[in-house]
Amino acid sequence: MAELLKVIFEHDGIFLHPSPDEGSLDEDLLVSGFIRILEKDSEILVEYRPLEDSVDPSNILCAGQDSSSVVEWAQCPGEKSQSRQLLETQQSYETEWDMVNAVSFRKKNYTNGEGSLNHSHERSRWAFSVNISDLRSITVKDEGWAFLILQLKDSSSSLPALHFHQGGSREFLDSLRRFALLTECPEDETCLLVSTPNKALSQSFENLLDDNSFGLVHKFKRDPYVTTLGSFSKVTNYIYDALRGTEEQQQRPPEEVADLLGEVIPGLEINQQEEPGFEVITRIDLGVRPPVRRAEPLYADEWSKLQDPEGRIEDEVTLRQRIFKGGLCHAVRKEAWKFLLGYYPWTSTLEERKSLQKAKTDEYFRMKLQWKSISEEQERRNSRLRDYRSLIEKDVNRTDRTNRFYEGLNNPGLTLLHDILMTYCMYDFDLGYVQGMSDLLSPILYVMENEVDAFWCFVSFMDQMHQNFEEQMQGMKTQLIQLSTLLRLLDLAFWNYLESQESGYLYFCFRWLLIRFKRELSFQDVLRLWEVMWTGLPCQNFHLLVCCAILDSEKQKIMEENYGFNEILKHINELSMKLDIKEILQKAEGIYLQIRSCKDLPHSISTILGFDTERRVSNQTDPGSAPRPVPQQDVCSNGHCRENRPQNSCRGVFTS
Amino acid sequence: MTARKSLLKVILLGDGGVGKSSIMNRYVTNKFDAHLFHTIGVEFLNKTLEVDGNQVTLQIWDTAGQERFRSLRTPFYRGSDCCLLTFSVDDNQSFLNLSNWKKEFIYYADVKEPENFPFVVLGNKVDVTERQVSSEEARLWCQENGDYPYFETSAKDATNVAVAFEEAVHRALAADDKADHLIPTDTVKLHRKPRSATACCS
Ligand SMILES: Nc1nc2c(ncn2[C@@H]2O[C@H](COP(=O)(O)OP(=O)(O)O)[C@@H](O)[C@H]2O)c(=O)[nH]1
Ligand SMILES: [Mg+2]
Repeated sequence: MAELLKVIFEHDGIFLHPSPDEGSLDEDLLVSGFIRILEKDSEILVEYRPLEDSVDPSNILCAGQDSSSVVEWAQCPGEKSQSRQLLETQQSYETEWDMVNAVSFRKKNYTNGEGSLNHSHERSRWAFSVNISDLRSITVKDEGWAFLILQLKDSSSSLPALHFHQGGSREFLDSLRRFALLTECPEDETCLLVSTPNKALSQSFENLLDDNSFGLVHKFKRDPYVTTLGSFSKVTNYIYDALRGTEEQQQRPPEEVADLLGEVIPGLEINQQEEPGFEVITRIDLGVRPPVRRAEPLYADEWSKLQDPEGRIEDEVTLRQRIFKGGLCHAVRKEAWKFLLGYYPWTSTLEERKSLQKAKTDEYFRMKLQWKSISEEQERRNSRLRDYRSLIEKDVNRTDRTNRFYEGLNNPGLTLLHDILMTYCMYDFDLGYVQGMSDLLSPILYVMENEVDAFWCFVSFMDQMHQNFEEQMQGMKTQLIQLSTLLRLLDLAFWNYLESQESGYLYFCFRWLLIRFKRELSFQDVLRLWEVMWTGLPCQNFHLLVCCAILDSEKQKIMEENYGFNEILKHINELSMKLDIKEILQKAEGIYLQIRSCKDLPHSISTILGFDTERRVSNQTDPGSAPRPVPQQDVCSNGHCRENRPQNSCRGVFTS
Repeated sequence: MTARKSLLKVILLGDGGVGKSSIMNRYVTNKFDAHLFHTIGVEFLNKTLEVDGNQVTLQIWDTAGQERFRSLRTPFYRGSDCCLLTFSVDDNQSFLNLSNWKKEFIYYADVKEPENFPFVVLGNKVDVTERQVSSEEARLWCQENGDYPYFETSAKDATNVAVAFEEAVHRALAADDKADHLIPTDTVKLHRKPRSATACCS
């Protein structure tokens, strides 16, 4: 019978560099393959498997041969074809609907390593599989690339070093940390000692709490650490829920959903660990949150005074600060947003902007013509374009339809929204159209009232948001991890509560982050929030502090009502249109000031908020006043500079 | 021993734009909002109803259909008691995609016996005059795929929406009863595994 294994981590481009004494006849031989972390029942295995064509038949795996935990992958001839078949079935399924992340195969245990040596299945010579509870340590070395040496407990020999030529060693270790404690060896900092949880402990819980404690037992099987405070609160909550016998008990537990989400957002758990010593909980003591006042928006007469006779913005730094504190009055937005978004360089003259706009107009219509001139027949053979178009058409009809600019049938605003999104597909065909993009464009088009300007401003905004929409949604994952890290260190009690409700990865903030609060606030408030965020002040990733501010206002309710996984999601979803932008911005800035004045700020926080990349300008130190931003933004007049900018392009830099 | 469930999780799946969110809103609030936004992320609404004299809370889950969001959508399939496969009668492609949605659901929901899992099929937007999918075609598909009940609905004018959800409830409860007979509680205790977790039948 085939066993179903779950692949927790997988990375290819892992090489072995067998030396002649390991049986390699060819000194230059490199074995290329991939590494996996697998879950089988409640056992976690680390497997290495070479790619078939890279293996020289004369090679023999010696390392680890005397460990009972080393098993071979591809097995004896009869079984092999069978296991292959299983794999292939899965794979064809995968290509068809691309949904498989579990693999079935047969495996055979060797109680005696000799067995594997005597086999003639050369391909698997280099393959190995180790139960993580059999690992003593992992040594991490660097040779321009990272390589790891896995040392087994009951063996003096180690497995062949794994060379991560294509990166991924950190991710591998991060994944492993979900199942084992990796602690730095006191004598050797390159060596991580591996310890796995005490099985007896989780077993005893299993007996202690009978039937309806299902959730607890299930969770313990998957995540049996009780070392962190977070997990302790988890325990108490499960017990509490079990005794209380909530309605949810009738359902399959939401933590199943949560566990799966946790796998989708990998690396989360470990990123919350500040230090390698896993169980260390870092908590920062924030001072009192200082009161923050917002200013009046910047008015038109003020704006016109800021330009020199040729039209250059004279003091960008002060201007940004002004916008951060008060936002813009609507009349100024059309002009000011072009600077904020980087479509116009701050230092450009009126004359330069005119010619820039002319060039950009030509470029826009050239791209627009590309999709406009595709015949129906051509499109029939272009499924991607067809799909983009169909999605855009559907979504344009479902974006801000109560706004005057987009309401009613045949509103020209709808046509513009459609055309700009279609042209964006031509501008970035790889990304194309992804749901959420119409939400990002709509306010920009509303403000610009001009197809070309709206397009290029949208391009600039998309440069910042691009990763959110990419295939792997890396931007979303990163943000969720960063937010979780921030929250954990800013408000451990609340974070622990969320964690106890399986919500520590903050999935419920998904919509906030994907489209920058576009659906959470009234249209006018979105305009205000966005222009404030585009100043890049007061720090990188200020929008994450905005998240923290909102959560800070909701945490009391969430904890008092003892909301569970589903209820938290529902509660946060239903905040939409009930939030007060002024209050949120004040609170977010207050949190920023608290963090800023904190002495021993954990490194992870400084990194997220960009404190460690600030360029300090010594001669401008001005004690007592607010931090003074110094422009760092690259001159970026065309929205083309995504590649050479950090994800958050409008980064503010200031002295402290 | 087989006290019935009082909380049922129902999930709406289907291509973007077929009307899933509109159907959910119609059923829960009895309103049709032509200005509704397209769904981002995952949402759910609760509705309480009475079945055979007992209160049942329906938890209706709605998701965003685009491919890109699959990995963040599929975890929510877990624990569903019924799946409403939805297409739009004026969009043939959405009908052709039903089997993919079904496959995706079965794969990720981790259901015990896919062949016995209660699906209900909805052909929405019947108020539209230009149909691309006929009733016969749709019925045939339902028959061939496991004898699923089929409803032609309109979220816009409320046709058949409540009926479809009620059928979903009945199917879910029936499947639950059947499962209770099949798995004596002892067995549940012995093999306490996630997949046999229609949990405690207290
Ligand atoms: N004529 C008609 N239009 C509908 C019906 N249900 C939904 N719609 C429209 O179809 C579009 C997509 O609906 P929506 O609920 O957002 O679809 P979802 O993506 O499946 O959630 C919207 O413009 C709705 O107004 C219906 O029963 N009849
Ligand atoms: Mg929807």
